[in-house]
Amino acid sequence: MKKRGKGIACMFYPIGFTSYPNPGSAFVKVNQDGTAVVFTGATDMGQGSTTVLAQIAAEELGIRYEHITMVTGDTEKTPFDLGSVASRVTYIVGNAVKRAAHEAKRILLEVAAEKLGVSPDGLCAGDGRIYIKGLPERFLEISEVARIAQMGKGRPPIGSGSFNPITTFLDPETGHGKPYGAYVFATQIAEVEVDTETGVVEVLRIAAAHDCGKAINPMLVEGQVEGGISMGVGYGLFEEMVLDNGVVKNPQFTDYILPTSLDMPEIRVGIIERPEPTGPFGAKGIGEPSLLPTAPAIINAIYDAVGVRIRELPATPEKILKALRETDQGKA
Amino acid sequence: MNGSAIGVSRPRHDAVLQVTGRALYGDDYERPGMLYAKALRSRHPHARILKVDTSRALKLAGVKAVITAEDVPKNRYGFTHLDQPVLADDKVRYMGDVVAVVAATSWDAATEALDQIEVDYLPLPAVFDPVEAMKPDAPKVHGDSNIVSHIKIRSGDVTEGWRISSEIVEDVMRTQVVEHCHIEPHAALAELTDDGTYVIWSTVQRPFLIASDLSRILQYPMNKIRVITPAIGGGFGGKNEITIEPYVCLLAAKTKRPVKMVLSREEEFCGTTVRHPYIVKYRSGVTKDGKIVARQVEIISDSGAYVSWGESTLSKASIHAAGPYFIPHVRIDGYLVYTNNSIGGAMRGFGVPQVGFAYECHMDNIAAVIGMDPLEFRYKNLLTDNSSLPTGQVLEFVTLRETVRKAVELVGWKKEVEWE
Amino acid sequence: MKRAIILVVNGTEHSVEVQPSDLLVDVLRDRLRLTGTKKGCGTGECGACTVLLDGKPVNSCLLLAIRCEGRQITTIEGLGTPDSLHVLQKAFIDNGAVQCGFCAPGMLLSAKALLDENPAPSEMDIRQALAGNICRCTGYVKIVKAVSSAARTMSGAEGGGR
Repeated sequence: MKKRGKGIACMFYPIGFTSYPNPGSAFVKVNQDGTAVVFTGATDMGQGSTTVLAQIAAEELGIRYEHITMVTGDTEKTPFDLGSVASRVTYIVGNAVKRAAHEAKRILLEVAAEKLGVSPDGLCAGDGRIYIKGLPERFLEISEVARIAQMGKGRPPIGSGSFNPITTFLDPETGHGKPYGAYVFATQIAEVEVDTETGVVEVLRIAAAHDCGKAINPMLVEGQVEGGISMGVGYGLFEEMVLDNGVVKNPQFTDYILPTSLDMPEIRVGIIERPEPTGPFGAKGIGEPSLLPTAPAIINAIYDAVGVRIRELPATPEKILKALRETDQGKA
Repeated sequence: MNGSAIGVSRPRHDAVLQVTGRALYGDDYERPGMLYAKALRSRHPHARILKVDTSRALKLAGVKAVITAEDVPKNRYGFTHLDQPVLADDKVRYMGDVVAVVAATSWDAATEALDQIEVDYLPLPAVFDPVEAMKPDAPKVHGDSNIVSHIKIRSGDVTEGWRISSEIVEDVMRTQVVEHCHIEPHAALAELTDDGTYVIWSTVQRPFLIASDLSRILQYPMNKIRVITPAIGGGFGGKNEITIEPYVCLLAAKTKRPVKMVLSREEEFCGTTVRHPYIVKYRSGVTKDGKIVARQVEIISDSGAYVSWGESTLSKASIHAAGPYFIPHVRIDGYLVYTNNSIGGAMRGFGVPQVGFAYECHMDNIAAVIGMDPLEFRYKNLLTDNSSLPTGQVLEFVTLRETVRKAVELVGWKKEVEWE
Repeated sequence: MKRAIILVVNGTEHSVEVQPSDLLVDVLRDRLRLTGTKKGCGTGECGACTVLLDGKPVNSCLLLAIRCEGRQITTIEGLGTPDSLHVLQKAFIDNGAVQCGFCAPGMLLSAKALLDENPAPSEMDIRQALAGNICRCTGYVKIVKAVSSAARTMSGAEGGGR
């Protein structure tokens, strides 16, 4: 018989490294044609951070995204970054890029201010222009300002920035302290169907509601959530590296089972945005948290469907059948 | 104004290169005269190394160099504990330990040479169960105790918590060993340039950590070490630390030729870090109206043969082990334990998925005991704005309740929920 | 032992000397420098090395190069170029179907084989056609969406052409 059930799981997760200093840094230069290059040690391993950092630089400089070039992940050519770990790049390197861009922009604003006869604070940048706040028709092209700054005034528009969230070490006896700069939150609900004859679990759908502060790039945020859920499905139902006296018994994908396109449920992603004041344009992070609630939501849904509690991951059909038999015996 | 660059869904900056097969990943790089490196790993989970003889391997056609522990200037690394050898010297402590690495003119020649390296081992008693490993008479992986660290989080007074509880619920949960399974295996290519700079292309998440670790291991200045990350085919924490970079650098120096190394899928499983398996014990006290007032958690984390990121992972797990709930009385103890198993390292979620599975299943079990709906039970106990955590950290903005309501809006719940 | 064979890759004939044991993936990558074909496992499980052999998807890590003599091999480099993207490639980009991108070449070729055979696949058809290609990053959601969207674009274009 096939039985359906629903399970819920909540989570909270910090953005950045535990207690330790956790800096990221960036350089920005604006070329005299109004394009810009961002240099940062942060690497993109597929999560999309380089794209997001370019969006942050574009926004802060007021230069079109297409006019930003990213130079990343080269210890000789880029300033230090701690690394693409701990869901930290958008929040920490994003802030560093924003600060570096702000510093370069400041030079552009000062040069433009002289031309437009206002104070630099009365100006803003957007759409490739520098314009008077509230009077967008009074503007200069950033390309023109950058050329004047560099070749006319001898002030190349460059900037550097770094960011390190304010954290404190933990007291070794009580664990008290402030180990993180910001937190994200999420809830997932899983709906499963359990075959009581075979113990096979089919995950039908998962709703994933995640707060990431501000989604700089909603499509990439969704992608992170969907990918995290697939890793969570694997964690909950399939994946286990079996060690026998220290020897790995399944060191190939033949016996180590990863979720395929046929194993994935329908996923409904809900992004919640409550801007984080210390984040770049309110953003926090999303990389790791997306996977966290999936496995427990599935395990709780199995419990709801057939009344058995799996206490050891993964919830293989063998474990579910064994638990079902024990429950039946308990009743008899 | 056309508006903002923020909040805009854009394809990845390099998507065109990726979909046309033009993005260059680690193994796609090559240099003229390049050699190929293969590692010889341990044959025992725990053994003393008596002798390593590479002379026969060195005589084989195509073999240009073999390195062993003697070739490594500083043969220890690790983020919190410098306990891991680049190449095993006194002992091997798990099956993935590397004893020697060969550089040859082809992958086949390097692989064949591995069989010709003679290693004399004295097998030692080994320990694979972290609970056994904690006992005083267990075989020791390093030094005189297998307990590497004990993380403590204390908030309120759990004894008082038990006293005011109307129900106390206990659970023990276990999580398994998981591999990152980034589809791209580790790959690194090193070249020692004419000006004495090591240029290393490596598929890593932390190029600056690789550079600083290489600087210490090779005893070489950082301005002469350049780590470049090509396109990276997934990481998830698996490419978080130094692995094969010292080998290709040492071999490049020894042979004066560029050297490339790529792990096989089997080596990814047997010789790189994994997600720590945890044993987690929960005990929670609740009042009649469904408020959690006390929670005690004990975590035993199997670190495997070395610490790697085990201590910081356990720290993150411990800090979050009480879950996203306001609980006045909390006591958490996390133990990190050496065994002769594969090394636990960084993996997406860094210890929190393990405790997250445990605390969320525990929450459902408590709800069942007190006869409450699991969603309503959670909703009642969730952290809200300005809640404080067991660490004392106060969270100013908390959107947990919004996420619950959103998830229900997306997919519904078992019953109509009456929001508080 | 070496033998000279002709491999027809993306419509171009290449004369290469191979050992009988040489795998197609290694000949493509190391000899022809077509590195778009990826190696993820070496055991035919992950699908990163998928190429088309006479239009059918195969794991090039399991296939001997000499067995491919005279047959039509399509690699990712033959699907489209940055200046002239295949509809599937464009759909993968626009739908955010690529994260780390390592599975993308194989995934795209499996998708192409599907659409060549079945221009209007259901979601289940797509999921089945891609089940031999593992993606660790995306959860397949946007990949399935991209293939579906490409199918619609291609059939629309054909309809318009008639």
